[in-house]
Amino acid sequence: MNVLIVEDEKSLALEMDEFLSKEGFIVEHAWKKSSAEEKIFVNNYDFILLDLGLPDGDGFDVLKQLKRLENRDDAVIILTARSAVDDRIKGLDEGADDYLPKPFSLNELLARMHAIIRRKHKLDKNEISIHNFLLNIQNRTVSFADERLNLTKKEFEIFNYLVLNKNRVVSRMSLTEHVWGDILEVNSDSNFVDVHVKNLRKKLAQASSIDWFETVRSIGYRINC
Amino acid sequence: MKLQVKFSLYNAITKITIIVVLGAIILFSINRLAYNQLDSRILKKKSKIIESLNNKEIDSLLNNEESFTDYNILKEEFIILTDIPDNQPDSTLSINTERREIEGDIEFYRILNYKFKYHTNWYNLEIGETMTALESIKNSIRFYMLVVLVVALFFTLIADFTFSTFLLRPFYQIIDKKLNKVDDPSHFDYENIPTNTDDFRLLDNSINLLMRKINTLFALEKQFIANVSHELLTPISILSTRFENMLNTPEIPADHENKIYASLKTLNRLKLIINSLLLISKVENNQYLKTEEINLNQELSDIYEDLEDRILDKNIHYETRLDGDFHFKGNQALIHTLLVNIVNNAIKYNVENGSIEVNGQYSHNDYVLTISDSGTGMSKALVDNAFDRFKRGNTEENGFGLGLAIVQSIARFHEIEISIKSELNEGTHVSLSFKSR
Repeated sequence: MNVLIVEDEKSLALEMDEFLSKEGFIVEHAWKKSSAEEKIFVNNYDFILLDLGLPDGDGFDVLKQLKRLENRDDAVIILTARSAVDDRIKGLDEGADDYLPKPFSLNELLARMHAIIRRKHKLDKNEISIHNFLLNIQNRTVSFADERLNLTKKEFEIFNYLVLNKNRVVSRMSLTEHVWGDILEVNSDSNFVDVHVKNLRKKLAQASSIDWFETVRSIGYRINC
Repeated sequence: MKLQVKFSLYNAITKITIIVVLGAIILFSINRLAYNQLDSRILKKKSKIIESLNNKEIDSLLNNEESFTDYNILKEEFIILTDIPDNQPDSTLSINTERREIEGDIEFYRILNYKFKYHTNWYNLEIGETMTALESIKNSIRFYMLVVLVVALFFTLIADFTFSTFLLRPFYQIIDKKLNKVDDPSHFDYENIPTNTDDFRLLDNSINLLMRKINTLFALEKQFIANVSHELLTPISILSTRFENMLNTPEIPADHENKIYASLKTLNRLKLIINSLLLISKVENNQYLKTEEINLNQELSDIYEDLEDRILDKNIHYETRLDGDFHFKGNQALIHTLLVNIVNNAIKYNVENGSIEVNGQYSHNDYVLTISDSGTGMSKALVDNAFDRFKRGNTEENGFGLGLAIVQSIARFHEIEISIKSELNEGTHVSLSFKSR
């Protein structure tokens, strides 16, 4: 899958590049509005990660230009530090697939990209399989050997997020923010996520051995596969 | 006192003064005029009598008596001729006003006294003219002047008041439309209020000019906030993505890993502080819409779901009792933030096995929501500056003391009255009073 990162802040773009390349994405860069528009005109991308504040113009213009082209199915995720309240609504109205305010966690970005892939490509079954556990994204259920596990909503969210970010460390902070959202101040302590993870592991362990579900020291968790 | 009333009163007073002064002058002149008229008439009569006088006539007039008196039937005038001793120094003439009794009637007369020598004898001639007519004319003039004064005053007061109401209407329209009803400079209506009074046009235009300046400043401030947030949040993004990538490098030593994670947490804290400050300033700059229909019950149950694990963790007894189904217009995300902050505080500063009660009921025209906890409470000093930025109740807890500052700015934005009552070691009651319609 190929990704176009439209971001004028080079060090940020390169960090995203490093992360996404490891995930197997082919990454291209555009530092300016003009070069982004050229690249979009020439190539098809699976993902366009679009910053709004570009040195030579507004990221929304790039989005509008893309929407004028026919037969394009590029998914657009707006990444911005701009604080205007209605940017999010405007972005989604203009046809962006998602909106992620800066600073964001790379885990969160990856999870959102996976969610878009599933939505766009209408995968035959809305299911992800991991070590014989089956996650049904639509019904938000997990089953093992056709038997449904009784997970709470939050436990499912945590499991799903870890699975989407498999083979990488997901910090408690990133996990908390994903599950509870960006509630100001509330998510500043991360003990609560541990309680949920503990319960989740207990429920999973009842079905099968889960030595692949790793606690990474004081930082967070990782699902290996 | 209203300008209008002042104008009318001023007009009334000046009119009264003018009428009184004029009236006095008129009355005085009439008096003078009348005396002059009367005097010249009496003098004419005297000349006529003297001319037609001769010995015989005097004799027949006096008829050998000491004096001769004659008056007409209505006693309007009289003539008295008296023989006086002959040793008068000179012939004299004087006119004055005196009271005279003529056949029982006492009246004021203008009387001419003339001592004169005819041949060898001295005589005194008195000619009197009644002044009753004059007095009555003076009285009626005085009376009519008073009536005219009062009536004129009354009418001019009404006329002045009506006219100034009409004249000042654009002024009050300007005050009302351009100053009182403006809650947000960005919604300001620049259309001029129709008036042909130049002063009001000047006022109107000056207000418009001022509003344009304010709007420019507001726009600049919004722009500044947007820029600052961009400038601060971008480097944070760079750092946090870099740290995340470092964490995913397999061969880094454990203590470095911990330091990197600690740095990530610090960055996250920085992000939360910036976002909180941005939120407050955006709310205070009215950058949010208040058009969503919010169901309070729904919001509270969503919040309970979000915070359930914290409530269960401290084994807190949580109870919600809401009267009716209260809806209002506002910004759903902001109201959620407001309530989450309050409920979260109630949990954070609560004790193990404590309780939280959420009560809602209509009171007069308001809907009052009270969130009471059995927590550690706050001292009076703390309650007093609870809404100040960066004030924190308990320094051991997480947070930066921006929660209640956020709560206050959101409450103000939605015109929700908020009050805190707290007793140390007893608990805290936060009540929110929503305007219903």
